[in-house]
Amino acid sequence: MFFSEMTARDAFKLTKQKMTEYQTEFLERMNAIEVDAHWFRRVFHTFAASFLFYYLLPDEEWINFGKIVLPVIIVLCMVVVEYRRIRGDLDHQRFFGLRNYEKKRPASYLYFGVAVLLLFLLFPQQIAIPCILCASFTDPIIGESRYYLGKKRAYAIGFVVSMFFFLVSWYRADWWVLILVPLLGATGAVMGEARKLKLVDDDFMIQMLPAILLLLMWQGCLLLGVNILPPKMILPLS
Amino acid sequence: MTNPRNETIQKLLLRLELWFAPLLIIVPLVVSFFFFWEWYIKGFSARSSLYDGELLISLLVLIGNLMFDIFFLRSLRILKKKQ
Repeated sequence: MFFSEMTARDAFKLTKQKMTEYQTEFLERMNAIEVDAHWFRRVFHTFAASFLFYYLLPDEEWINFGKIVLPVIIVLCMVVVEYRRIRGDLDHQRFFGLRNYEKKRPASYLYFGVAVLLLFLLFPQQIAIPCILCASFTDPIIGESRYYLGKKRAYAIGFVVSMFFFLVSWYRADWWVLILVPLLGATGAVMGEARKLKLVDDDFMIQMLPAILLLLMWQGCLLLGVNILPPKMILPLS
Repeated sequence: MTNPRNETIQKLLLRLELWFAPLLIIVPLVVSFFFFWEWYIKGFSARSSLYDGELLISLLVLIGNLMFDIFFLRSLRILKKKQ
């Protein structure tokens, strides 16, 4: 009886020790994983296309309220985090993938978030969707092609890709709108990406410039009595 | 003396990129699947073209993300090999 008790206790101890060793080894292995900051940034961009899920949210009173409040709260949290980081309360090293020039100014993810928030709250989805797609995909595509093909070709590719997004998003519009909108939108997106401003990040401009151009066009046409806006692309869940 | 296991855990907790990386890959795929499902149930099955937009968004999100995910995952593998 005593012998078997000892064995059970020993077995338990041994198993516990083995488990701890295994855990430690696993944690060390995890910690040894290195993430490439360059591709991490690219994937962060493409991830933003998931925000389009916002337009699937049901059209009910309390959800509509949440659709306004929640994005505002998220962006406010980002503002607080960035404010603390720039002030030095939060260690810069903890923010993986930040560029050097972002050390003393708000990081691009904040500009990205503010632009998406403005698009969600102030623009119709027909305008917002292609602009978010441009920021999600055109920006990294231009970034990658610039590296291999040079600036001019990269912007040309960016222009074609952006045109495609506007074309797909407005596919239900009239034919003449389908010519004008992609041209105007893609021009805005590429200009927003190409013009590097000191205070405003290109992640903000690539979304806002085409959105404002299209908003002006839409409102201008409305004044002339023509509504160029196609039906909604994404219908909310019912 | 601090426990090396706890030290490793603390280091891991600080490495936000390791926590974000799976999310950055999985969430777009789930969203894309959701859009596709929406199109399939309400559009394709009900023979309605009203939901074609969902299909287009689903494909754009899926293809766009997969394109860059492949390079991202390859970069992880390359860095691991270098180690």
